Amino acid sequence: MGTRAARKDFYMEIRKSPGRFISILFIVALGVAFFSGIRSSEPSMRITGDAYFDQAGLMDIKAVSTLGITEDDIEAIEAVKGVEEAEGSYSGDFLCDTGEKQYVFHVMALPGKLNQVTVSEGRMPEKVGECLVDDDMGYKVGDIITLKSGTEDPLSDTLKTEDYEVVGTGSSPCYISFGRGMTTIGSGTVSGFLVVPEETFALEVYTEAYVKVEGAGELVAYTEDYDKRIDTVLAAIEDITGERGKIRRQEILDDAGAKIADAKTELEEGRVEAQAELDDAAAKIADGQAQLDDARWKIADGKTQLSDAKTTLLSKQKELKNAKAQYQDGLEKWRAGKAEYDAGLEQFETKKKEVQAQLKEGEDGLIFYRQQLDQKKAEGEAQISKLEVQAGQLEEQIRDLESAGTPDPAVLEEMRNKLQTLQGMIAAINTGLEQAEADYNRKTAELEAAKAEAGQELGAAEKKLTDSKSLLDENKRKLDSAYSQITSGQSQIDSGWSEISKQESALKSGESEILENETKLEDAKREYEEGRLEAEQKIADGEQEIADAEAELTDIEEAKWYVYDRSTLPEHDGYGENADRMRAIGRVFPVIFFLVAALISLTSMTRMVEEQRIQIGTMKALGYSRFAIVSKYLGYALLATAGGSVIGVLIGEKVLPYIIIYAYGIMYQHIPEILVPYDWSYAVQASLAAVACTMLATLFSCFRELGEQPASLMRPPAPRIGKRVFLEYIRFIWKRLSFTWKSTVRNLMRYKKRFFMTLFGIGGCMALMLVGYGIKDSVFEIAGLQYDEIQVYDGSIILKEDPLEEEQESLHEYLEGHKDIDRFMDCYMKNITLKNESHEHGAYVTVLGDPAKSDEYVHFRDRRSKEVYHLSDEGAIISEKTAKLLDAKEGDSIVVRDEETGDKKVRIEHICENYMGHYMYLTPGYYEKVFGAQPEYNNILFAAKESYSKAELEKAGEKILARREVLSVNYMHEIEKQLDDMLKSLNLVIIVLIISAGMLAFVVLYNLNNINITERQRELATLKVLGFYDLEVGEYVYRENILLTFIGAVVGVGLGKVLHLFIIETVEVDAAMFGRNINLPSYIYSLLFTVAFSLIVNGVMYFKLKRINMVESLKSIE
Amino acid sequence: MAGYVTLENVKKIYKMGEVEILAAAGIDFEIQKGEFAVVVGPSGAGKTTVLNILGGMDTASEGRVLVDGQDIAAYSRKQLTAYRRDDIGFVFQFYNLIPNLTALENVELALQICKDPMDAGEVLKEVGLGERLNNFPAQLSGGEQQRVSIARALAKNPKLLLCDEPTGALDYNTGKAILKLLQDMCRVKGMTVVLITHNSAIAPMADRVIQIKNGRVSRIKVNRDPVPVETIEW
Repeated sequence: MGTRAARKDFYMEIRKSPGRFISILFIVALGVAFFSGIRSSEPSMRITGDAYFDQAGLMDIKAVSTLGITEDDIEAIEAVKGVEEAEGSYSGDFLCDTGEKQYVFHVMALPGKLNQVTVSEGRMPEKVGECLVDDDMGYKVGDIITLKSGTEDPLSDTLKTEDYEVVGTGSSPCYISFGRGMTTIGSGTVSGFLVVPEETFALEVYTEAYVKVEGAGELVAYTEDYDKRIDTVLAAIEDITGERGKIRRQEILDDAGAKIADAKTELEEGRVEAQAELDDAAAKIADGQAQLDDARWKIADGKTQLSDAKTTLLSKQKELKNAKAQYQDGLEKWRAGKAEYDAGLEQFETKKKEVQAQLKEGEDGLIFYRQQLDQKKAEGEAQISKLEVQAGQLEEQIRDLESAGTPDPAVLEEMRNKLQTLQGMIAAINTGLEQAEADYNRKTAELEAAKAEAGQELGAAEKKLTDSKSLLDENKRKLDSAYSQITSGQSQIDSGWSEISKQESALKSGESEILENETKLEDAKREYEEGRLEAEQKIADGEQEIADAEAELTDIEEAKWYVYDRSTLPEHDGYGENADRMRAIGRVFPVIFFLVAALISLTSMTRMVEEQRIQIGTMKALGYSRFAIVSKYLGYALLATAGGSVIGVLIGEKVLPYIIIYAYGIMYQHIPEILVPYDWSYAVQASLAAVACTMLATLFSCFRELGEQPASLMRPPAPRIGKRVFLEYIRFIWKRLSFTWKSTVRNLMRYKKRFFMTLFGIGGCMALMLVGYGIKDSVFEIAGLQYDEIQVYDGSIILKEDPLEEEQESLHEYLEGHKDIDRFMDCYMKNITLKNESHEHGAYVTVLGDPAKSDEYVHFRDRRSKEVYHLSDEGAIISEKTAKLLDAKEGDSIVVRDEETGDKKVRIEHICENYMGHYMYLTPGYYEKVFGAQPEYNNILFAAKESYSKAELEKAGEKILARREVLSVNYMHEIEKQLDDMLKSLNLVIIVLIISAGMLAFVVLYNLNNINITERQRELATLKVLGFYDLEVGEYVYRENILLTFIGAVVGVGLGKVLHLFIIETVEVDAAMFGRNINLPSYIYSLLFTVAFSLIVNGVMYFKLKRINMVESLKSIE
Repeated sequence: MAGYVTLENVKKIYKMGEVEILAAAGIDFEIQKGEFAVVVGPSGAGKTTVLNILGGMDTASEGRVLVDGQDIAAYSRKQLTAYRRDDIGFVFQFYNLIPNLTALENVELALQICKDPMDAGEVLKEVGLGERLNNFPAQLSGGEQQRVSIARALAKNPKLLLCDEPTGALDYNTGKAILKLLQDMCRVKGMTVVLITHNSAIAPMADRVIQIKNGRVSRIKVNRDPVPVETIEW
């Protein structure tokens, strides 16, 4: 593509015929997507699983030892080359009765670094009594789980408590699917796990060790590299286990030896102690006796004392009586004195009042006199002052007269007399006044004297009274003290009496105590005797135990170690197997798909080159180099194919693995994240193959064209030589064919490439769809076949462990009379391991109680011939898949592993059709022959009345479950449903298959038809010119297509059956056998789809046919 | 009298986008029953248009095309197909045999759809291929293939045998032999033959020569004495 013109031509080529370009692109994308997508599903599954395991730190190796694992063992393992980490842990299986069901829990210690549990709700348990429970068990946070031991050993041997509160739910990388593994207790199957803190376990040594292998994390699980690495380390660990076993034994021996020695000394000590205790007891008894005697003596003494006291009290009482009489007497006297005093007091009071009244009277008189006196005085003084004034006037007159000198001596004398009389008058008044005053004073003194006399008299009387009063009081006080003395004496006497009665009762209780103590002493004596015997017995027992232990020690074997890789985890390998199955599917399906896609793109390119023959010739004639010419077509092919590959890889490797892993996720719900990394190796494989195919085809056809001369290239290619077909030589048939059919047959044969490609395309499409539907048939049918045609009972009653015979009989009677139950039969079921040469597999040994009626419960028949078998005492019937896995045939003898009583040989009489589980059926007689014991029936198979619905059946079952003897009731329809649910995961895969098959069919048919019509345009135009109606022209083409479709369908049926068988065999899980059948409707659906696709394509083609121009026929061939 | 085949003012207009191309600008001619007619003209004159219209592969835009009294210009698509299958025998320049059918079967292919067929083997014998009935086209020479093609056309017993440059892809001698065969068929069986060619040298052997130029009939010449093929040289 050196020139611009060439480049332009190249782009125009794509633009002009986008249909061709896109169809190549699309089909390559489809092929590559399917190829790399389905193929990379397998590594993606492994990577998805591995990522989860690594993230959760799933252990690589697990080791257990019969004698437990010590810290030293862990260290020893850690020292092994290739071990990155070793961790000891505890676990144990326990039962849990919920009332309806009995669960078996696998109780694990909270993990350290390895096997980390993912909490989905709540939290991790933190203390004893808390637990985290399996997500799948349906417990909720806050529920209580009560565990009990499933063996004879008590639960407390292993666990510290039996009740656990659920504090969280979660999942463990040890359990990726539904299975929880097997156990030796309960139903034999673990129902779920519990995680508890390590300290919940009451064990001294670890029960198991988890090992992480160095560098194993980087390797992808389920790959050879990983397995190899693990195997090496596993072998290295196994190498040290022998020695560890010896060491462990020695440890136990030493430990036990020390313990025995301890026990011996302990025993000796015990003996001594017991003797001492006994002696002590004897001494105590003697002491008790002495004390008792002493007490008796004391009581007698007490009694005498008591009677003494009584006499004393009586005499005291008498004394008291006298004192009382005296007191009474004194009191009387006092009372008389008191009365006397009172009378005296009254007299005195009266007298006092009288005296006082007299005195008062005197005083009052005195006061009145005084007042008169004062009045007289005032009057006298007033007369005096008047007289004095007159006297003064007279004196003055006298003086005046005298002074006047002319005195009239008579008048003066008269006046002097008169003054004399006046002055005599004043003196007389003054004397009268002074006399009155003295009178008063004398009277006052008289009163005072009377007062003092009265006071003296009264004072003497009062004194007398006071004296008698104090005497009385004194007497009274004396009486009172006497009284109180009497009272206290009485109370003393009373208390003396009560004391006496108290002492008496004390004595009595003392006596009864003595009696009691006497019986006690008797008891003590008896006890002592018993204790002595017991101690002797215990000592003897202890001696025996020590002897036993010593004997046992010699029996202890070396610890046996079992070292497992991850395959010991339930269903762990199943995931890897599923990946392998995916690989198996990936090996076939995408290859077909890819081949068809490659063929189509190859044909398209070849056709393109052929169509452009003249252009190639022209270019060549113009002098373009071969390379320049070829590069256009190579470029075209490269662009379309590489583009398709890239699209295919990008989409296919993401979408398909995701869908497939998602579908498997229904079985492996605990894997949290789907990883679909691009797998470049498959991408490169697919892309390279696609590119190489188309490029080579293009190159080849280009060079075929280029080999010719330009001149001949300009001419139409030499027509293909018509050939007789093989059928023509069979005249018999050929002659009978109508002409049009002859031409059709020849046409088909003429375009062989197209013929085979169409055949392949349609056949492939038909086959893929058939496989899709077929897988559905085979897988979904098994539930119906298994539970409607083979195991025809409705359910089984599981009896509680070791039922008594009467209980069984009563249950039988109950069932006999139960109107809902149509029939029932005793059955013994147990999980055992079967072995044939190097093959080993688990199976249920099943003994039907009444072989004569066995076909009412289980139909034994051959899958192919449907020949019916019957149980006999000559051999067992085993299920088909079991026989296949064991590689055993009818008439072979296989081995039943029995670790306790040795392996047993069983002859296989027949092999029966069976799809779910593994069974070995025996008659009771043959069982006895093989196992040497009668089977202990632990199951009852039953069937309800024919017409019963599921609900009615379950109602009947509930009634049965309510009985004591019954542990649980299982219904077959439930198992059937579970199975159906599980298998639904395949549905999505099937849909993917069918859709891709449809796409394939469509693209192939469209492409081929398109090529067919383009190639034969001229021929078809000629037919039109010859007067063929459109429909007839269509028929001419369609007849071939229809024929091809049907031949393709037939081929598809063959191919589909083979593929189906292959896929079923690879997809099959160990526990189940899928049907090998494809049902008629599946054929019909597949055919209808194929025909429908064919019709649609032909319908589209009709318009293309109609558009063919008749003038084409006139043109020269190019 | 009206001819067995009559074209009256036949026009054919192709529209190529804006441009109208007049492929036939009003063609009129008549051919009598049993005549050997040759339509000649240079490339692009409108010969093929005449052939297409006469052969029922195309319809005229205007005018009437009467064949045995029927106006095929008015025919529907379906009627045209019926006309082709019953009334027309077509001989192609490149034979257009079905490559994976034998000579016999190629003839039978045409016969199975027509009402009154002749025996395929007989016809092939008549065209001189009695020995090669079961050969495939690729095993036959060009002349032989053209004979098969003629046999296929004749065996239908058509009203009209249309030949489009039957000798165009053949060498001189073989071409002559084919022309001879066609002439013989016309003479012996009274078949109306219309031969279209650009080679005017063939004209003397025809009963009627219709010359076409620029979409019109330029000249119609009726040969009273057509010469045998052997005498023609080109």
